[in-house]
Amino acid sequence: MNRISTFIPRTPYYFQLALLALFLFGALSVIGAMLSDGLYPLASALSAITVFLTLIFIRRRFTPLRWLSIGIALALLFTLYPLLYTVYLSVTNMGSGHLMTKQQSISRLEAQTYLAEGGQSYQWAAFRSNEGASYALWLTPTEGDSFLALPGQSAESVSVEIGELDEGGIPVSIAGYERMPMNQVVPLITQLSALDFGEPPNTVRIRSLREAAALQPKYQYDADLDAIIDQETGEVYRPVEGTFTSEEGVGLPIGFIEYVGLRQFEGFLGNAGFRDPLASMLIWNINFALASVFFSFVVGLIVTLLFENLPGKNIIRALLIIPWPIPVLISILIWRSMLNPDLGFVAPVLESIFGSSPAWFQDPFWTRFAVIMVNVWLSYPYFYVISAGAIRSIPSEIYDAAIVDGASGWSKLYHITLPLLLRILMPLLIASFTFNFNNFNVIYLFNFGNPPMANTIVPMGHTDILISFVYRLAFITSNVTNYGLAAAITVMLFLLVSAMVILQMRFTKIFKEVE
Amino acid sequence: MKHFLSNTARILALLLVLSTTSLIAAQDVELTLWVYDDGRLEILTELGAEFEAEFGVPVLVEVVDLTEIRNAMTLGAASGEGPDMIIIPHDNLGPIVENGVAAPIDLGDNAENFLPNALDGFTYNGQLYGVPLAVENIGFFRNADLVPEAPATWDEVAEVGLELLDNGDIDSVIGLPDLTYNSYPIFTAYGGYIFGRDDEGNFTIEDFGLNNEGMAAGLEWVVNLVDEGAVSENIDWEAAHVQFETGRSAFILTGPWAINRFDTAGVPYAISAFPAADADAEPGYPFLGVQGLVVNANSEDAILAQVFAVEFLASEENFQRIFDAEPRPSAWASIFTAASDPNTAGFNEAGVNAVPMPSIPAMGFVWDAWVNAGALAVQGELTPQEALDGAVTQVLAQVEG
Repeated sequence: MNRISTFIPRTPYYFQLALLALFLFGALSVIGAMLSDGLYPLASALSAITVFLTLIFIRRRFTPLRWLSIGIALALLFTLYPLLYTVYLSVTNMGSGHLMTKQQSISRLEAQTYLAEGGQSYQWAAFRSNEGASYALWLTPTEGDSFLALPGQSAESVSVEIGELDEGGIPVSIAGYERMPMNQVVPLITQLSALDFGEPPNTVRIRSLREAAALQPKYQYDADLDAIIDQETGEVYRPVEGTFTSEEGVGLPIGFIEYVGLRQFEGFLGNAGFRDPLASMLIWNINFALASVFFSFVVGLIVTLLFENLPGKNIIRALLIIPWPIPVLISILIWRSMLNPDLGFVAPVLESIFGSSPAWFQDPFWTRFAVIMVNVWLSYPYFYVISAGAIRSIPSEIYDAAIVDGASGWSKLYHITLPLLLRILMPLLIASFTFNFNNFNVIYLFNFGNPPMANTIVPMGHTDILISFVYRLAFITSNVTNYGLAAAITVMLFLLVSAMVILQMRFTKIFKEVE
Repeated sequence: MKHFLSNTARILALLLVLSTTSLIAAQDVELTLWVYDDGRLEILTELGAEFEAEFGVPVLVEVVDLTEIRNAMTLGAASGEGPDMIIIPHDNLGPIVENGVAAPIDLGDNAENFLPNALDGFTYNGQLYGVPLAVENIGFFRNADLVPEAPATWDEVAEVGLELLDNGDIDSVIGLPDLTYNSYPIFTAYGGYIFGRDDEGNFTIEDFGLNNEGMAAGLEWVVNLVDEGAVSENIDWEAAHVQFETGRSAFILTGPWAINRFDTAGVPYAISAFPAADADAEPGYPFLGVQGLVVNANSEDAILAQVFAVEFLASEENFQRIFDAEPRPSAWASIFTAASDPNTAGFNEAGVNAVPMPSIPAMGFVWDAWVNAGALAVQGELTPQEALDGAVTQVLAQVEG
C-alpha cells in the first residue's frame, strides 16, 4: 500500500481545492442551464451525482471509492436515471397534447386573450418620455376620437399638452414625449406589448404592429374549484385526465401531464387487438434471437474449424471478417438492394436456376428467413473471432490423449472441442441472445417490421419484434406521439428481458464463483 | 477538516452567486428562424440581414432537421425551447397547434394576394397559423417517346401500358413510389378521399373516406395491374423511379423532387394532368403540400416575429426573390400564375384542384394503416375493400385511444 502511494505524487492541497472548485463551477453551470431549461429531473440527477463526487473527494473515509466514482456516476446517469424516468413516464399520459405540467398549461391558457364584444381596437403610434423611462400610445379607434393612453392612467386623467395633428392624425409633438420611429418601435415591441395602457380594468394592449385592442384575459384558473373558467362565456372547465374539460365534454387544447396510474398498461394488456398478435410477435421475437445466435455461432465455428490449418489463412481470415467493420446500416441497405425483386441481382439469379424467386419483402416466411440470414451475415465474424481465440486455449494434451485412445475427428469435436468451447463462450452467447432480442437495427432497417399483418387493431408487421413495435407505436403509426404508452411497453419489455436473463444465468450458472 | 469544509462552503457560495448572475444577464433581441431544407437558406439569410438593417433586429436562419423542429415545437414547448419562427410543410401544423405552440397570423388585406388553397393549408379550426411561402404537388409523368399523347382515363393508362408491356418495350406499366401519397390521384379519380369537411370547412374524422367505394376502386385498379404482372408486387420508391428513368416503365406518379434525376438520366418525360375514372368524370387530384412560416407562440418575441413574417416578409417583391432563388411554385398568386416553364406548368395543371393534405392529428394515424392496407391488398391477402376496412378500424381504434 505504502509503496503504491509513493508512486502517486501528492498534489498540493490548494491545487486540489482549485481543481474541485473548477469541477463544481462546471457542474453548477450545467445544472443551472438545465434548470433554466426546465429539465428538472435531469438537473436533480446531476446534482445528486455532483454531491456524491464532492463528498467522495472531501471525506477521507471515502477515499477508496474514488477509484470507482466516475464509473458509478456514469452508471447512475446513463443507466439508472433513464430507467427511473421511463418508469415515471409509463404511469403518466405524456404524449402530444399533454406535454406540460399543470402549472405551465394553466399559465399558457391564462395568457390567452380575447376582444370583448363592444371592445375597441385601435391603430397606434408609440411615444417615449424624454427620460426614456416610460411610454405612451396615441390610439386611433376605427370610429371616434383619438386619444393618448398612459400605463395605469385613465384617458380622462391624462393632462399632457398635445400638439397639432399631422396628416396621419398623429400629434406632431407631445410635451415631455418624443415620437418613436418604426426602427425603434420594432426592437422594443416585445416590451411595449407587455404594458397595459389606460386604467384597469379598461386597458389597451398592443397585439400587432398595426393594432392595439382592449383585450381581456380569456381564461382564469380558480384554485378553490380547481377549474379553468372561460371569462367570455362563463363555461367551467374541470381537469379530466390531463385536459380541462367542460360539462359537455369539450376539452381545451393545451393539456397537461397527469398521473394516470396503470391505465397505459391496462390499455395495452386489456385490449385483445393488442394482445393476440402480441403472443405471436413474442414467439417470433424469441425465435429470431435464438436463430440468430445459433446460426451465427454455428457458421462462426464451422469457419474456425475449416480454416484453422490452411495455408494463407491470414488472408482468408481478413476476408471473413469483412462483414464486421462495415457499418451495420450500410450492410443492411446493401442486402436490401440485392434482394430487391425489381432491381437486385438475387431475383434474376434464382429465377434462372429455380424458375422463381421468393418475395423477400412481402411473404412473411421469406422475410423472416431473410432477416435472420442478414443478421447471421452481420454477426458470424464475431463468433468466428472469439471461437478461433478460445479454441487455442484448449490444451493440446487433451487431443493427444484422445488420439492415443483412438478417437475420431468427430468424437474429438463432440467430446472435447464443443464442451470446452461452450463453457468459455456461454456468457457471450447469452449476451448475444439478449442483444438480438432487442435488435432494432436489423429488423427496422431491413423491412421496417413489414410485411403487415392483416386484421390487427394497431398496424403491426410479421417481422416486428417488441422493440420495433414500440417504436412503430410511439413514433411511426402517428405523429401524435404517445410517450406514456411507449414507456409502459418498454417497462414490460425490460421486465421480460430481465426475467429471461436471470433464468439463463440460473440455468447456466455462468456467474457462479469458482469454488 | 473543519477548516477544509468551511473553505469549501465559501467556494460553493461564491460559485453559486457567479453562476446565477451569469444566467440572469440580459440578452439582446434576436429572432431565430429554423428551416427544414437548405434551398432557401441563402435568400432568407439575405432577407434577414435586410430586416436587421431596417429595424436593428438580427434574424438568425438555421437549417434544422424536420423531426428536430417538430420535437422542439411540441415536446420542447413546455420548457420554452425552440426558435421564434419555423418553416414547415403544413401537414405538420396540427400537433403544433394542438399543443398551443403556433401563434395566429393575421395577414389583413394582404391575404388576397395568396393562393386560397395555400392559405387553406395553414388554416386550422378556422384560424390562420402561417404565412404560406410555396406550394407543391405531384404530377402525372409519362415517357413521351413511348406515350406521345397523355391518356384521359386510368383505363386508358392500363390499356396503353399493357400493350407496351406485351411488345416487351417496358417491364412495368406505371411507377408507383407508394400506395398512399403518390397514388392518391388514382383514388380521388374514382371518388376517394381521406377526410371530408365539416360545416366550417375543417377536415373532420366524422366523415372518414379511407374505405369508401372510390378508394377501394382505385386500389382495385392497382391490384388488377399487379395481378397481370404489369406492376411489381413490391411497391418501392426507388424501384419505381429507376424503372421510369431507364425507360422501363411508361408512367410514374411523382413530384418536383424527381425532375433532377430524370433530367440527368435523360429520359424524355412530359408532365400533365391526372387521368379520370371515365371520359365524363373529373380528373384525379393530388394532395397539396404547402410550406409556410409559423411563429412560435411560446417565444418571448412572438409579436416581433409576427412583425417579421407579416409586415416584412409577406410582400410580392420578397416572394419573387424567394421564387427566383429556388423555383418552387410560389404561394403568392400572381407569381404562381406567371411561372411559364413546361415542368411548372405541368405540375400546376396536375394540381389545379389539389386539396391540402389534412393536418388534423387523426391524419397521423392514417399513414401507417393506409400503407399496410395497400400492401395487404397488393399481396392478395385481403381484397381492397377488406384491407381498407381494416385500416379504418385501426385508425378509429387509435383515435379513440
